[in-house]
Order: sequence, then C-alpha cells, then structure tokens
Amino acid sequence: MIAEIGLIALGLTFAAAIYAIFASVVGQRLHQDRLIDSGRNAALLTFPLLLIAAFALLAALLTQQYQIAYVWQVSDPNTPMFYRITALWGSQQGSLLFWSVLMSAFAFVALLVNGRKNRTLMPYFTAYTMAVLVFFIAITLFMENPFDRFWITPDLTADSGVPAYTLIPPDATAPSPALLASTARGLNPLLRHFGMIIHPPMLYLGFVGFVIPFAFAMSALASGDLSSAWIKATRRWTLIAWLFLSLGLLLGGRWAYDVLGWGGYWGWDPVENAAFLPWLIGTAFLHSVMIQEKRGMLKTWNMFLVIFTFSAVIFGTFATRSGLVESVHSFAQSEIGMPMFFFWSSITLVSVTLTLWRWRQGKLRDDHHFAGILSRESLFVLNNVVFIALTLAIFWGSFGAPILSELLTGTEITLGVDYFNAVTVPLFAVLYILMGIAPLSAWGATSAIRMGRSIITPLVLTGAALIGAFLLGASSPGALFGYGVVLFAGFVALYETYRGVLARRRAHHENFATALLALFGRNRRRYGGFIVHLGITVIGIGVIGSTLFQVETQRTLLVGETIDVDGYALTYNGLLSGQVTGDGRIMTIAQVSLARDGQALAELRPRTDFYPEARGINSQIIAGVHSTLENDVYVLISGFETINGVEGATGTFKIYINPLINLVWWGGLILILGTLISSAPAETVTAADRSRLRTARARPQMGSAMESPA
Amino acid sequence: MNSLRRISLRPIPFRPVLALIVILFFLRTLNVPMRVCAQDAAIDGVISYDEVNAVAKELYCPVCPNELLSDCQTQACIQWKTEISDQLAVGQSPQQIIDSFVRRYGDRVAHVPQDPFLRALSLVTPFAVALVALIIGARTFLRWGRLARRSPIAADAKHDISANPIDNDYRARLERDLEN
Amino acid sequence: MSQLDLLDEIDQQPDPSAKRGLGGGPIMLLAGVVVFLAVIGIALVRQNQDQPTTGLAPDFTITTFDGEVFTLSEQRGKIVILNFWASWCGPCHEEAPALQRLAERYQDRVVFLGVTHVDEPDDSKAFIERYGITYANAEDPRDDITKRLYRITGVPETFVIAPDGSVAQFFFAAINETELAALFDQLLETAAT
Repeated sequence: MIAEIGLIALGLTFAAAIYAIFASVVGQRLHQDRLIDSGRNAALLTFPLLLIAAFALLAALLTQQYQIAYVWQVSDPNTPMFYRITALWGSQQGSLLFWSVLMSAFAFVALLVNGRKNRTLMPYFTAYTMAVLVFFIAITLFMENPFDRFWITPDLTADSGVPAYTLIPPDATAPSPALLASTARGLNPLLRHFGMIIHPPMLYLGFVGFVIPFAFAMSALASGDLSSAWIKATRRWTLIAWLFLSLGLLLGGRWAYDVLGWGGYWGWDPVENAAFLPWLIGTAFLHSVMIQEKRGMLKTWNMFLVIFTFSAVIFGTFATRSGLVESVHSFAQSEIGMPMFFFWSSITLVSVTLTLWRWRQGKLRDDHHFAGILSRESLFVLNNVVFIALTLAIFWGSFGAPILSELLTGTEITLGVDYFNAVTVPLFAVLYILMGIAPLSAWGATSAIRMGRSIITPLVLTGAALIGAFLLGASSPGALFGYGVVLFAGFVALYETYRGVLARRRAHHENFATALLALFGRNRRRYGGFIVHLGITVIGIGVIGSTLFQVETQRTLLVGETIDVDGYALTYNGLLSGQVTGDGRIMTIAQVSLARDGQALAELRPRTDFYPEARGINSQIIAGVHSTLENDVYVLISGFETINGVEGATGTFKIYINPLINLVWWGGLILILGTLISSAPAETVTAADRSRLRTARARPQMGSAMESPA
Repeated sequence: MNSLRRISLRPIPFRPVLALIVILFFLRTLNVPMRVCAQDAAIDGVISYDEVNAVAKELYCPVCPNELLSDCQTQACIQWKTEISDQLAVGQSPQQIIDSFVRRYGDRVAHVPQDPFLRALSLVTPFAVALVALIIGARTFLRWGRLARRSPIAADAKHDISANPIDNDYRARLERDLEN
Repeated sequence: MSQLDLLDEIDQQPDPSAKRGLGGGPIMLLAGVVVFLAVIGIALVRQNQDQPTTGLAPDFTITTFDGEVFTLSEQRGKIVILNFWASWCGPCHEEAPALQRLAERYQDRVVFLGVTHVDEPDDSKAFIERYGITYANAEDPRDDITKRLYRITGVPETFVIAPDGSVAQFFFAAINETELAALFDQLLETAAT
C-alpha cells in the first residue's frame, strides 16, 4: 500500500513536471497567459506530490516494511528511531528522492514569491527548474526506485537473494516478513552519527539551492531579457544556497573529525573536493553579482559563473554517484553514471552556447568600463580569477590529472595532500589579501595613496597581533605570514564597521550600541558581509593553527603508565570491553586521564565500536577528545594487547594535539550569523513614508507620463 | 581636493601586474608546511611508531581509496607498517622505503607521481594554464584600458544601473503599487 | 507585460554592432568545453567497465612463484579456474582450503591458477604454505592482469574459464565448494560430448 502510494506520487510528479515544461514554453511563445499559469500550477503541484512520496518512504522506514528493498538495505529491527529517519537519505535511492523533494521545495517557494514579478522570466524559469527535476525524477523512477519490492516469482531460479521489482510481476508472492527482517542490512556504521541528521540535508540544500539562480540566468538568456532583473531576483537565493553549502561543508569536516579517526577534518578526498568546487565558484558569483547590480559590469562573467556553479553541482553529484573516482564517500557503483553524464554535458553545453550566442548578439554589453587596477571592479575581477584558479587547481588534482594519466598512459596516479597544500595555500593567501583591500577600495577609481591611508590602521593592528602571536610561540615565517594575511582581512572588517559606527554617531548622536544596530539595519548586505569575512578570518586562524602546529604521536602504554605530550600528562587507566549498547553495538572503551601542570583536566574515553550484524564496514574508531579554545587533545585507540588474560594490559594510542581547531567551528557559526544578517529582508521604506506615499497617490499626479497599472 | 576627484585613466600599468606575478611565484615557493611532530626517541633500538608514521604519512594505502597509510587501520595496512618498521630497523632510509613501495604498487601510492613524465604532466599543467590565463587577462585589461581612454565619459563613477535618479524613485513606487 | 518590463527594455539597447553567429573566440571556448566533456565521458566508460563475465577471457602470460611461465591461451581445451586473492584478505583464508581440496579432486582435469593482488610475495608464500596449496600461484605486482585485464574491484574474485576460452562463470566473492564442483562436472560433461 505504502509503496503504491509512493510510486503513484512519483509518477504523477514526473507527468506534472513534463507538462509544466511544455505549458510554460509554449504559453510564453504563443503569449497565452492561461497556458503559462497552468504550467506554473503544475510546477507548484510537484512539491506536495513529492512530499507524499517522501513521507511514504519515511512511513515505510518507520513501520519496518522490509519488503521494500530500500528499507531492507538501510535499516534493521535494531535500528534506533533517530537513524531510521535519517536513513531516508542514507543510500542512493532515498537520497535521490530527498534531493528531488528539496529541489521542488525551492522551486515552489521561488514560483510563489515571484508570482507577479518578472513576468518575462518566470515561464522559462519554470521550464528550466522542471527540466532539472524531470531528470532526477526519471532516474529515480526508472533506475533507482526506492519503492522496489522483493517478490518471489514461480520461475525463480536464483539461489542468492530474492530480486526486487518496481511493478508487481505476475503470480508473485511476498517473501516472509520474518525472513526479511532477520536478514535486513542496517545502516552503514559510519552513518550512525549525529551529523547524519544535518550534513546531507544541508549539503543537498546547498546544491539544490543553486538551481534557482541557474534557472533565472537561463531564463534571462532564453527570453533575451538580460537586464539586471534576473540578478535582483536571485540574490537572496544565492545567499541561502551558499549558506547551506558552507554549512554542509563545515559539518562534513566536523563529522570526519569526530568519526573517521584520523585527527583531521579535511582530507582533499575527491568527493569532498567535488562538493567544494561549487562553493568556490558560487562564492565568486556571489561577489561578482554585486558589480553587475552596482555598475552594470561583468555581465558575461556572471553568466558563466552561475552556469559553472550549477555545472559543478551536477558534476559533484555525478562524480559521487557514478564511481568516476574512488572515494570513501562513493555510493555503490550504479548504472546511473551514464545518464548523469549526459545530463551534465547537456546542461553545460546548452547554457554555454546560449551565453555565447547572446554575447555575440551584444546583449551582454557592460554599461561601464574599467577605471583602474585598484578600483573595486578590478579587485572583484581578480577575486573571480583567483577563485576560478582554485577551482581548476583542485579539479586538476582530484579529477583532471588522475583521469588524464589513466587515459594516456594507463598508470594510476594520486595527487595528494602535498600537491593541494602547495597549490591552494598561495591562492588562499591572495584571497585573504583581497578580502582586506577590496572593502577599502571604491567604485570607479581609487588612487593608491587613498587606499594607503585607509590601510594604515588595520595594518598596524595586524602588526600588533602578529607580535602577540610571535610571543605565544608562532615563530616560523610561514605561520606569521599566514596569520598576518588572515588577521589583516579580519581587522579591515572590524575597522570598517567601527568607522561606520563612528560616522553614524557623529551624524545622529546615538550611543555606540544604537549606532551599531542602526548600521546593521540600514545596510545589512555590507555589514553582514563583514561579519561573514570575520567568520572566514576566524576559520583561517583555526586552519593555520591546527595544520601548522599539530602535534602527533603514537605510543604504547601499560596500565597506570603516564606519558608527556606537549605539556599534557596522559595516563592509561585500563580497558572496558564488551560494553553492549541498545542498538547492538559492542564497545571497547579505554580510560585515559588528562592532566596539565599537575591539574586534572578530563577523563577521556576513546573507544572502538563493533557492529556484529553489519556487513561491509563493521567497526568504527571514536576518539576521546578534550576541547578548549586553545586546542583539542584528541586520543584514538590504535590497538591493545592481552597479557596473562588481562585484556588491555597495554594500549597503543594515537594522540593528536590540534591547536586552535575549535576556531574553525566557531568561525563557521560567525559565518552563518553574517549570512543570515546579509540575507534578511531590508526595510526599504519605513511605515511613515509608506502612508505618506499612499495619501500622495490618492491625489492625481500632474505630468506623470504613464498611468499606474491597475 | 582635486586630486581626490581626478580619476586615473591610465591603461593598466605593467609594473603592478608584474609585481603581482612575482609575489604569486614567491608565495608558491614559500609554502613551508611545518609539522611539529613529537619524535619518540628509539627505545632499546626498536623503531618507534612515530618514525614509522613519518614514512607512512608519505604514502597512500595501496588498496583503500584515498587514505594515507599512516591513518589506515586495516589488517593489510598494519602489515605494511610493520614492514616499514622492519626496513627502518635494518637501516633503510625513508626515501628508499618510499621508492620500494612505489616500485611495487605503482605511482598511486605516492603523493606526487614519481615517474618523471607523469610528474611533469601533473605539476606543470596547472602552471601552464595559469600562465595562459594571465596572458589573456593582461591583454583584456590592456584592451579595457584603451577603451577607457577612448571614452572617458563611460568610465565615470556612477552608482546605479539607471543613470536617472528620478527613474529609480518612480520604479520603487511602481513596484509598491504592483505589490499592493 | 508590466510597465517595469517596458522600462527594462528601454534600458538595454541592443548594440548596433551585434554580430551574427559565433565568432572565433567563442568557437574555441565551445570546442574546449566539448573536449573536456568528452574526456570525462571516456574516463567514465572505462571506469564502468566491469569484470569480463562473458565472452573470451583476456589472455595473459605470467611467471609463477615456482618460476614456470603460464599462458592462458595455451590452456585451451582445458577448464581453467582463475582465483584472485591476497594474504591479507579474510574471505581468501576461508576459501583456501576448499580450493585446495577441489584442486586435488579435479587434478589433471581442471587447471588451477591463483593470482595475488597487492600482496607481499613473502606473505603470499607463507599463505600458500599454511594451507598446503599445491597448485600454481603467481604475483601481479603491477596490476596488469588484475586491474587492466580482469578489472577486479577486490579480492577474492574467481573466474571459471571453459575449454573454448570463454568465461563460464564469475564469482564475486568467496567460492562455494559444492557449487564450484557442480560447475566443473557440468563443464566436463559438456566438453566430453
């Protein structure tokens, strides 16, 4: 019953989306408003339909319908409720459905919000969003269907497993529920972490969110309306998508740190990088659109940036799901690789061609020209270039070089951490420098002298901070340079905010707090942006600290033995084995005491979890961590020995001291706050002004050339 | 105050651009990732874990996807790390051990391909592309500079898409009308 | 259309010097994009090529641990079982005794060859000794046979090759002794007729 509901909902969504495409395009071409509205309604309908399908799958998971192959794959009778819910996106089929739900949700809201604005753009917008949705529904419905069920057919000869069918085969009977329940696979242990509830949804929201700016851009190209209308419509969407993507990446790093047990949070894994690429181009786009809004420049740049952001999104999901490269993240290899490749190629080619065509038509002409290298426009172009360089360098390391090498010479190569550090560090340094000087530049031209004057205070502050850092132990030139550029960007953000507050105080005679609030209220984009930059600065400090100054060691300890690592005293107090938890895990917990300068700090409990029922990966190593702002003391069990029947008579531990690592997470929170401020709707007109305007409009205007439309 | 109003219309001068290029190359060579590892002194001639990990960190696990040998905890990896320990004990240098792993399992276990042709292909290509991009960028900037000189009015510092401020007010009112 | 759209239309004047079609630079950009897409596509196709489960089994020559040279095509007319394994792989330990038993049972009728994948020769030899394996084994250090020809994704994987050289059956995991014996009997019967 549930499976039927889900299947029908999916099928109807597919039909509705296809209809929406045709109705919108035909309606626009023939100027039939009713057809356009009909198409729009069909598009709106996809969201509730997909919600039904998703809820059907969720219901199946919660009521343990193991006949549905997906439920069998990702859960078992022991799975706790929490993971049963998150299993909705735990494997290929469910995550595809989840992706589609989120995409239709975004389209739904975008269509409602833009109901009566942008009438030239909306029909094509509907068509493009529905086209993307149609593709994902198609591969869900016809290739990776979450509602496939196990059936026993009379002519079944296979001895290994009962096959799953989407439609009920003739003369089929359902397998015994007890048998299904007892053999159910259960969720991959690596996914049984709190992060599972938020990392994939955030990441998907980020990816899917970029459909909206892309669709607006494409509708601008298709309709020929290449004014700033599409940019204005998408600004907030871009911010929201960017926010979720940033969150998703930070959460992924946090999860890796908590669960994967190698003391780090970013491994330059191909799938991680595939998610990072759209963030990089997306950030470039986010900044570059400001130029088009303010000065009508960089129109072609922005088109290409938004197209390649979305292309990177599709490439990312394609690379993850197709097995293009090996990764700890990859889903099981499936047959959707080829269809995804064709989809990705088509949208990239079509959008690039359309852009070039409009460009040749002269519709993407800039309104103004560049004034000088220190003008804000030039710095933003440099910004774009650096982000693109980063994207290409990271793409080359993860995909380009290995793929080309395999194709041309048949040899598998790896470009590892050393390559990525060597290539990205200088580029990030340039970005931080730009983050510092761009806010100090002006639209149009800025003479070097003028910029020089604004830079002095932040530079002095940076110098002072660096002296502090030097005294605290950061003595290498590389570290000082790194901290220097990062702190410089942060101080510029703080200083500019301070200057703004001072200016307000002088003008309105408000106290500091009121001035600050008013400043943010009046110009959320600018000052919200400064908070985001501040967040990036804090993250940068955390990254430099935890990468350059990480202390790592591996030791074997007898019970009761203490060692000293970087000033910390760690004592091994024994092993607790065979601890069974509610979901069937068997934990082996080591007890480690942490002290410093004679003072006891914490009791750490690094452990290994063993999942006896799971197939494939069946164990996990969880670190015992003591977190402070100064650093993390991160301890992993590497092994233990049993001597004379005493289990854990010696324990081998991997110990990491990660300085400043918590700044990475705190910086992330600051970043979120800044983005929320930036994207909050601004009060453009106060209530008093609005009522004045209303009364003014009531009287007929003399000399107004155009009538107010009804 | 005239100096503040005068807009610099020189074409993009080479010197700042050149300086930028020099700085970028300088930055690339400056990269010094310093890992301060607590080196455990060899106890009774036995190779410490840290010494093994220092070598294992330079290698990728031959069978697990994208995992450093030092981080990998599978049976196979532990065997390989034991082998590294044995080799260090007989006096092999870290580089010799890395080379032997590359000989046995191929270039993919090293951070950067050891084979000279592949190494060149991998590392030079990004630089080559960057150089091409810089050249195209510099030429575009020069062209913009020429255009700016030819039509100084267009380079004026205007702050809105619509040049006419009255239009903006009117637009805003119209928008509000449409919404009400 | 609203009045605002009219305003927008006035805003963007089409350039009088607008060109027709696509020019040189854009063509090159498009060409670049196409080449890029093509490369990824080819890589995908190559990556997705699975183990050969039908058709002619890829031929190869390899030197065993005993120093003998083994060429697959020279075994035409006999049933060959090609077993990929490694000393560090758990299921390989489980199936080793079964494989040895089958090798003894079907001596002279079925050719057994084990090929190690990413394994230390010393460890492989210790494994062979431990399970008393008498049939030929060889190492494939450069993955020429494992990755390039047979495209295995892990160990153990076993290919049964019929007398005519084609792949009769592919086992993705550890073998099942009874099943394998039944397959041998079937193939021998067919060959006899």
